[in-house]
Amino acid sequence: MTAAPPRERPVDQRPTARTAVRIGFGELMRPVRGQLAVAVAVQAVSCVAAVVPFAAVAELGRVLLTTPVDRQAVWTIAVIAAGALVLRTLLLLAAGCLSHLADVTFQHITRRRLAAHLGTVPLGWFTASNSGTVKKAVADDVQALHHLVAHTLLDLTNAVVMPATAIAYLLAVDWRMTVICLVPLALGALCYFRAMGGYAEQMIAFDQALSKINSSVVELVRGITVIKTFGRTERGHARFRRSADDFATFFLAWVRAKTAISATADLLLSPVVMLTTVLIAGTILIESGTLAAVDVLPFALLGLGLSAPMLAIGTNIIALRASRQAAERITTVLSTPALAEPAEPRTIDDTAVDGTTVEFRDLRFTYDGGTEALRGIDLELRPNTVTALVGPSGSGKSTLARMLPRFWDPTEGAVTIGGVDLRDLDPNTLYRTVSFVFQDVQLLNTSVRDNIALARPDATLDEIVAVAKAAEIHDRISELPSGYDAVVGTDVQLSGGEAQRVSIARALLADTPVLVLDEATAFVDPEAEVAIQRALSRLARGRTLLVIAHRLATIRGSDQIVVLDNGNIAEQGTHDDLLARDGRYAGMWHAQQEASAKRGGLR
Amino acid sequence: MIGKFRRLYDDEHRPAFDWMLITAALAAISQGVAFALTVPVLTALFESRPGDAWPWLFALVIAAIVYAVLHYTSLTIGYSAGAQLARIVHHRLGDHVVALPLGWFTERRTGELSQLASQNVVQLMRVAAMQVRPLINAIVVPLTVFAAMLLFDWRMALAGALAVPVVAVAYRLFGNLISRTDHTVDAASAQASGRVVEFARNQPVLRAFGQREHGGQLLEDSLRRQHDTGRAQIVSGSVGLTGYIVVLQAAFVWLLLAGVYLALDGTLATPELLGLLVLAVRFVEPLIHAADDGATLRIAGNTIDRVEKVLAERPLPQPENPQVPEDASIELRDVRFGYDDDPVLDGVSLRVPPGGLTALVGPSGSGKTTITRLIARFHDAWDGGVLIGGVDVREMTTETLMSQLSLVFQDVFLFEGTIEENVRIGRADATDDELREAARRARVDEIVARLPDGWNTRVGEGGWTLSGGERQRVSIARALLKDAPIVLLDEATAALDAHNSSAVTDAIAELTSHRTVLVIAHDLNTVAHADEIVLLSDGRIAERGTHAELLAGGGDYARFWSYRDQSNSWQLGAAR
Repeated sequence: MTAAPPRERPVDQRPTARTAVRIGFGELMRPVRGQLAVAVAVQAVSCVAAVVPFAAVAELGRVLLTTPVDRQAVWTIAVIAAGALVLRTLLLLAAGCLSHLADVTFQHITRRRLAAHLGTVPLGWFTASNSGTVKKAVADDVQALHHLVAHTLLDLTNAVVMPATAIAYLLAVDWRMTVICLVPLALGALCYFRAMGGYAEQMIAFDQALSKINSSVVELVRGITVIKTFGRTERGHARFRRSADDFATFFLAWVRAKTAISATADLLLSPVVMLTTVLIAGTILIESGTLAAVDVLPFALLGLGLSAPMLAIGTNIIALRASRQAAERITTVLSTPALAEPAEPRTIDDTAVDGTTVEFRDLRFTYDGGTEALRGIDLELRPNTVTALVGPSGSGKSTLARMLPRFWDPTEGAVTIGGVDLRDLDPNTLYRTVSFVFQDVQLLNTSVRDNIALARPDATLDEIVAVAKAAEIHDRISELPSGYDAVVGTDVQLSGGEAQRVSIARALLADTPVLVLDEATAFVDPEAEVAIQRALSRLARGRTLLVIAHRLATIRGSDQIVVLDNGNIAEQGTHDDLLARDGRYAGMWHAQQEASAKRGGLR
Repeated sequence: MIGKFRRLYDDEHRPAFDWMLITAALAAISQGVAFALTVPVLTALFESRPGDAWPWLFALVIAAIVYAVLHYTSLTIGYSAGAQLARIVHHRLGDHVVALPLGWFTERRTGELSQLASQNVVQLMRVAAMQVRPLINAIVVPLTVFAAMLLFDWRMALAGALAVPVVAVAYRLFGNLISRTDHTVDAASAQASGRVVEFARNQPVLRAFGQREHGGQLLEDSLRRQHDTGRAQIVSGSVGLTGYIVVLQAAFVWLLLAGVYLALDGTLATPELLGLLVLAVRFVEPLIHAADDGATLRIAGNTIDRVEKVLAERPLPQPENPQVPEDASIELRDVRFGYDDDPVLDGVSLRVPPGGLTALVGPSGSGKTTITRLIARFHDAWDGGVLIGGVDVREMTTETLMSQLSLVFQDVFLFEGTIEENVRIGRADATDDELREAARRARVDEIVARLPDGWNTRVGEGGWTLSGGERQRVSIARALLKDAPIVLLDEATAALDAHNSSAVTDAIAELTSHRTVLVIAHDLNTVAHADEIVLLSDGRIAERGTHAELLAGGGDYARFWSYRDQSNSWQLGAAR
């Protein structure tokens, strides 16, 4: 078995994540800051313009109520109101359009930035769980910032400028009425923010309840075969029902606790209450003779609209929290340390006799800073020799093999090719020298031709066909209606064995002097397996080979066999040497012979 | 749209939802009435008789109180109706999917279902609890205001009414303009997401083969496309939105100008006009929100469609007069079946007598797995019959059928829980001795001894703390405990280390002795010991017989095994 890479690397950036975010957040937005500033300015103007039509209607009242009516003035005011309304609308839309365009640009820039950065982090970082993280960061989290970039700033501008302008105008009309108007508003705001209190904690509990549903539904559907075949439908089902009930109960308890206060806030901020307040206060003041009747009008028109922008603040706070988390995940990915690039990249002379000698020198490596996966490996791979790594799962075979294409850098010691430390080597030189064929072959969703020509996009079709033939995949490709232009995953579904042969063709075309190989083949029928084996034999010819071996029989002809145990080299030598020594390798060899003799004896 | 929500509720809880709708509508009406009362109040004030305003103000206060009570009621009922909706939908989904044929649960469907049951149901809950009321408000308030206008001045009401169809047409027209681009944007985003995942997964290959910059052109292109479609959507969306809102504002301007004209004409009293203009604002404003709320509800409607699609999947038909198998034989009679239009099995007949061992061999895609899936009734055959103990599987209850079978497949699923719980799934009422015995025979006892908390060790989600071989042994222990007379076995193909491989072999040997066995075989020894070997090719039986007969026959089977020998003797680098 291969030594599986650790399932999840501890996120060691955690403690510093917060500070990193605060720096990172403004940093992320920098490319669109200018655009957003313009949008905010336009929005602010539109807010001022929004007050004009209401003020105009109030003024209209004033003119209409004075006799004789100045007809000219009436029409002028009406036209101003209409014009301001149109202007307000156009500016509002312009601001929205600008901020949305800024968001599209922001998303594009951030995604490219993430991709560019991911191209520099150690390959070892790309575990299964981290590729989930990548998808979430690049696709979902960047999208999750949409509200923040496109809406929040504008909404906040609206929430400040519009009431401020309106209140300024109202103060000019009558300060007492203005103060009275502000009373329900202030009380409402108070209740509103109290209703929002504890939101963050509740949201965490909410997410937990939700993720319980999530895991129970996943368990229900993934375990459905087991559930049914063992007649335990009730069991898997019961857990799902329970978590659904818990969720509903939790949600109800949460909102019930808040119903009274949030309903009060709703009411205080509602137009009905504001209208009642304005009209009652207005009537009293008019009766007392200290307010002109017509001065009630601005309050009836504008006072009612004061609360709406404020309510938007609440929505935006919620959105802001969600986007903070998203931004945090993005900056966490962006702050993943990159593989150190050499200051003065060196190249190697692969034509020299020892040009491609690989050396592991006192190599130590740990994934997490704790247990060492490799504890002092000294090993030399001479040009054109085959070295096989064997050992139980967890012994460090895969880790050691993956040090050569620089999935990780050593914690201590060094890996050298032609005497040059991999860390000093120009990355392009490294990958022109070392290639690999691993078990978990993934092909790109593009043409077969491009998949093979990955290393040399300028390869001619003849060259591609030649390697495809050598990899025994040409016949399969030729059968396809669109041949080498068939898009993998769209036009054609390749089986595991076929994908493996495409990856062998790819490596053949790359034609590097050093090759790292995982011998285990995905299970295929015997005919395909033989084809893969022939292809691998052709690929191995004339190269320095490092093989992760599973079936000892396969590698018994190797120039050297290295037995790993717990990160150390336990034994080293040829098959015959090691059998003669009668140590670990000999034990493994006999166990495997026995197991294969026993296997399948069903009766 | 609201009808779709109502349909989701059960009869017990639908009235609560209806009550929310009714109270919300009544609250909106009282709100509209309160607005309407502005007109007489302002008229009294402007005509310099403020004392006359008091009765109207009193009415206004009453309307406000009624509104407050109704709003509170509707809010409370709404929250509870939303929570109930989540519960009901969860239960309905859960109850329904467990009755579906096992074949329904493909990778894609299980992904969709998980998404549906978590995020989407929560979204429905939120909409039902919080967003249906505002929509009702946005529709009923303008209607009430319109009715009030009609009372005050029919011409102004008519002017307002004229605006409504214009607004509606504009909404439809411009709404289409916005949503038309949704599809292309979604497609571009989905493609870009796919490229991102591909980019991360293929990082070693991409880098090793020199595609370091931005993960190659593929990702770069798809991000560019996503950007371009996004821009295009905003541009056309802005045009749409501008159109809609301008039309909406024009409605107000229209009312204003009409009112001014009537006032100057002398046929509309100024105080009344001013009151009506205040009212006009209340008429137009909710309509702006109606568009947003409507869009939210439409999205929720799509989610409901997806829920209903799952609920409409046909459950596995159960027999009216269930029968019980007579023995432990398996028989397929001229079975035809396919997952889509193309048959995967095209006339397959075979019989495994009680206690017999039949091995299925053949290239991938030849239909081996499909045969075992039909026996376990993941699907029903198109034609022909699948029989257990002489009884068609469709004539048995699911319980009866499943009690006859033990399935040992490659992808073993363990539940989050302890090892003991996972083995006990085999038989809930097994004694501790029986449990230990099954564990010993499946060599799970070794695993238990190794683990820190022994039998109480939690295996983690999907059993990930155990290795593949260990998970398989747990699943065999389960099957041993269950003690069903028929075993359907898919031999492991993944490379196991020598120790695990030998333990699994022992465990399988325990399980298969004295039982009827149908095995998808990959191993020479398994096949060599089978009573009958069935070689499948393209959904038909190409050859059948014992190992010796088939080898002697010199057909595909013989060729198959010559390859097997060749592959077993292969050595890497031996060709140099």
